[in-house]
Amino acid sequence: MAGPLGISLAPYIRSSTTLSKIFTPIAKWYAGGSLYRQYGLLYDDLLIEENREVQRALSRLTPRQAYDRAFRIKRASQADVLHAPLARELWTKPEEDVRYLLPHVVDVVNENKERETWDTLTVKRK
Amino acid sequence: MLASRTRASVRLARRSFATVVDNAGVKVAAIDSNRSTVSITVLAKAGARYQPKPGVAHALKNFAFKGTADRSALGTVRESELYGGVLSSTLSREHLALTAEFLHGDEAFFVNVLSSVIASTKYTRHEYEELVLPAMESEINALNADPAAHAIELAHSIAFRSGLGASLFATPHTPVTARDVEQFATAAFAKGNFAILGTGISQAALSSLVQSAVSSASAPPTTSATTYYGGETRVAAHSGPQTIFIGYGTSGSPAAELAALAAHLDPNPSIKWARSSSPLLQDGKTSVHSVCMPYSDAALVGLLIQGPTAQAVREAGKAAVAALKGASDVKAENLKLAVAKAKFRLASTVDSRDGLLEVLGSKVLAGSSETSVEASLSSLDKITTAGFNKAATSLLKGKVTYIAVGDTQALPYADELGL
Repeated sequence: MAGPLGISLAPYIRSSTTLSKIFTPIAKWYAGGSLYRQYGLLYDDLLIEENREVQRALSRLTPRQAYDRAFRIKRASQADVLHAPLARELWTKPEEDVRYLLPHVVDVVNENKERETWDTLTVKRK
Repeated sequence: MLASRTRASVRLARRSFATVVDNAGVKVAAIDSNRSTVSITVLAKAGARYQPKPGVAHALKNFAFKGTADRSALGTVRESELYGGVLSSTLSREHLALTAEFLHGDEAFFVNVLSSVIASTKYTRHEYEELVLPAMESEINALNADPAAHAIELAHSIAFRSGLGASLFATPHTPVTARDVEQFATAAFAKGNFAILGTGISQAALSSLVQSAVSSASAPPTTSATTYYGGETRVAAHSGPQTIFIGYGTSGSPAAELAALAAHLDPNPSIKWARSSSPLLQDGKTSVHSVCMPYSDAALVGLLIQGPTAQAVREAGKAAVAALKGASDVKAENLKLAVAKAKFRLASTVDSRDGLLEVLGSKVLAGSSETSVEASLSSLDKITTAGFNKAATSLLKGKVTYIAVGDTQALPYADELGL
């Protein structure tokens, strides 16, 4: 399954102390190496948004979050047109790279799952 | 055998809360009448008059039964559908009531629903925007499409200004946020600010069920004492009948005489389809409701007149003013009729479940030991002609509350009706 909530080993790695010790520096190095931070984006700006769950999650952002997201995407597009990353002081700092959208997507997916459960419920008499 | 059965049902059909038990700060009262359904109501002193910001109470009413720590909004609805229960929330100027009605045997589930609603509703921003605001908007639209309800809303705001004058409805594009609602809810469901009332369930059973009900320890919301001002306002409305409201208010605990006065002013015949010769009804061209709204520290009494044309309403309005002025000089036999009518109205209100909660719920919340309707009925019986005329005179001495909703060009002004 492709998309924002595709198959991921991250929860398993996070649950194990040894594995997370090994993988955290690698993950940090990888995120720093992928260019999105140099274009001023956050990781959640890259989530595939062409599906209903993410569209619903996007509608739940605060006006401020939605504005900032649109601004970052426009700025990154412009930088891409110019074929150059932003100036170094405009790069996203690792501590700014928060998952602002993912919790909403998880909520929406869980709500849909719950609705499906209730819709297909078999009622048994006790 | 039939006779003994009838007697048994008469004995069981109670209309008073037998006792009020203080269950760890939460007042619990129940009537075990012989009904096939049970209702449990959480009645909080959190009506529109207690709201810190206009529209918060309306938002809280619509936020009832949304996502809690135990189950989501959808889960609450679907699960209570499986049990066949009905969940509802009602807002009045003084109280917010969350009610669950269900069959015998499902008490544990619905008590759990109600207690999780008051203790752990999440008040999330997205639920507010996706579920609560559209519901509020449709209620506001319904209000604006109903000139009678609109006139009563306006009458309260003109008569009492702040406090009781606060509208039951938010304004469109309300500035209220989910955070405001959460803060108000914490205050509304504070210890001692709400009571749990049951019908069709025994006191002991209800008490043991609500042991687990949690209440927050924050300070309850406050309101100011009510003063009656009165005044006149006119609002244009393009659909619906032409509407005027002529009323007077008092501050202070409402007297029994006011209920009798409203019954006396009511021109509608007691027999269905009968024609009344009252000039207020203009040969059936207008409809008139006599309004008596008693609150804990004020009351609003008046006549709501509706008709298809402004001319008919004007004529009926003149007759209404004459009837109001005549009310301070009532003969003993007319008073007898009015008292009988008022008594019947009160008793028949209390026979319905909603009416019972409305009339007796506030008494339970106030911690009054008298939680039966008999006291109100006997106070109606004690009305004397002199007392009635005195009460009417002092009421009519105040400034009139006059509301016109409809064609403001044609509807009469208060002074044109002789007020």
